[in-house]
Amino acid sequence: MKRSTTPSSDRLTRRWTILAWPDWVIGIASVVALLLLWELAVRLELLSARSFPMPSKLAQTLWTLVTVGFPRGITAWVHVQATVLRILKGYIVGVTLAIPIGLIIGRSTMLEQMARPVITFARSVATISLLPLAVAWFGVGELTRVFLITYAVFWVVLTSVIDGVKQVDPNYIRAAQILGTSPSQIFTRVVLPASLPRIFAGMKVALGLAFLVIVAVEMIGTIEGLGALIQEARTFYRSDASMVGMFFMALFGFALAKGLDLLEKLLLPWATGLEEVER
Amino acid sequence: MNMAPSVSNNSLGIEKIAIRNVTKQFQADAEERGLALSKINLSIYPNEFVSIVGRSGCGKTTLLNMIAGLLRPSTGDVLVNGEAVKGPGPDRGMVFQNAALFPWLTAVQNIEFGPQSQNMPKNERQLLAQELIELVHLTGFEHKYPRELSGGMGQRVAIARALAVDPDILLMDEPFGALDELTRAEMQDELLRIWEARKKTVVFITHSIFEALYLSDRIIVLSPHPGRIRMEMQVDMPRPRQRSSQRFMEDYEKIHNAIF
Repeated sequence: MKRSTTPSSDRLTRRWTILAWPDWVIGIASVVALLLLWELAVRLELLSARSFPMPSKLAQTLWTLVTVGFPRGITAWVHVQATVLRILKGYIVGVTLAIPIGLIIGRSTMLEQMARPVITFARSVATISLLPLAVAWFGVGELTRVFLITYAVFWVVLTSVIDGVKQVDPNYIRAAQILGTSPSQIFTRVVLPASLPRIFAGMKVALGLAFLVIVAVEMIGTIEGLGALIQEARTFYRSDASMVGMFFMALFGFALAKGLDLLEKLLLPWATGLEEVER
Repeated sequence: MNMAPSVSNNSLGIEKIAIRNVTKQFQADAEERGLALSKINLSIYPNEFVSIVGRSGCGKTTLLNMIAGLLRPSTGDVLVNGEAVKGPGPDRGMVFQNAALFPWLTAVQNIEFGPQSQNMPKNERQLLAQELIELVHLTGFEHKYPRELSGGMGQRVAIARALAVDPDILLMDEPFGALDELTRAEMQDELLRIWEARKKTVVFITHSIFEALYLSDRIIVLSPHPGRIRMEMQVDMPRPRQRSSQRFMEDYEKIHNAIF
């Protein structure tokens, strides 16, 4: 939004200069203030240094993690790479399976009625509770980890695809029929694009879920990955390393979510940025 | 500027749309509310502009959807060019109240949608769309998405999209019902101009007696529960019509009394 330049509001902003600062400056300032408070609280022994390592200590740990690694030799980069790759594999497989299956189920009332109870049940199963079963099926290797992420992603995306297809405005389909469009073209040129915003919404939820699941599935059978790092830190009472692990998790979770937003803006310019137009 | 020739039922021989003894029964229920239309007989002639007015629930939209081929009559026949309607087809274009533009396509892509369905080559399609953009006065807005267009502009795109497959018949379901009064008046003039330029048979559904009187060659008044034809009126006033003329007011009274 354009900032107002009328004289009267100028006088106002001069008096309340802080209000005119850009949002990101205020955001950073508040984070810095919080970190300073935290540091101070630990130094004044209001908080225990063991449970709440000071920000300066965390910075040190972060540096060690990047250069030496934790456990020794396994650097931050290795952990991040392991985690992100697992998530991407599981996520891509889950989404790739869910979209075509969902499109088919969504177009058929009978299939939808048959699938609904299965989907409701499968979604209600907490993915992490499948871990022992998955280990029995696939062992403690990579396959189990990727499978569980795929499982979590698949059902959420499947539901959103089915809902997306079912909620296509019937007037779009009528309009296409009246223009002499064949049923197969109606599917590809109307149903698919019309349901994409909902599909994307489901994909975003699924990405968040994948990050929930990864922490749990990395706690067994591996020492690589941010989940493994957090688990390992717990064993050694290294709250600082645990927190740095959380920090990386948040950072890359945020980055992937932003990437997905960007992809959506690119693919669906007509559905995103609604706010800008309404303003 | 006398534009449309006054069309009377016997001067133009062959009927474009014939509705013969049409009854439409939806899911029957105890109070007979399921009966949307009862024994409708109606002939519409080539290039005629016919409006159908009536209160909500009188079956206007049902009748239009049957001509479009989106609904089938329970009994009776709907004939277009002498042949029974079997389903929707590009010989009958339709404009919806909410425009129903495809939000993922730009204005010009919306217009090209029908021709693409008919496998028209891309360059031909583009030329046609450009021509229609000019016809509906949307130059400069070709590449806007529907949500970036005002209600009136959206309906201009919807009209152009319907015209793109060159239908003989234009079916309009309260197309200006959601527009503000000034835009609505403007779009009425635009529609008459486009109708003059393209010579289509128009079936126009509206709640507004004023709108029907301003636009039509003939007005059909439906009464609800069940939907029946209450009255038919030939509008003989020359165009452009004066909304405040004595004649206009008299005709308004007649239709108003038929409805209430």
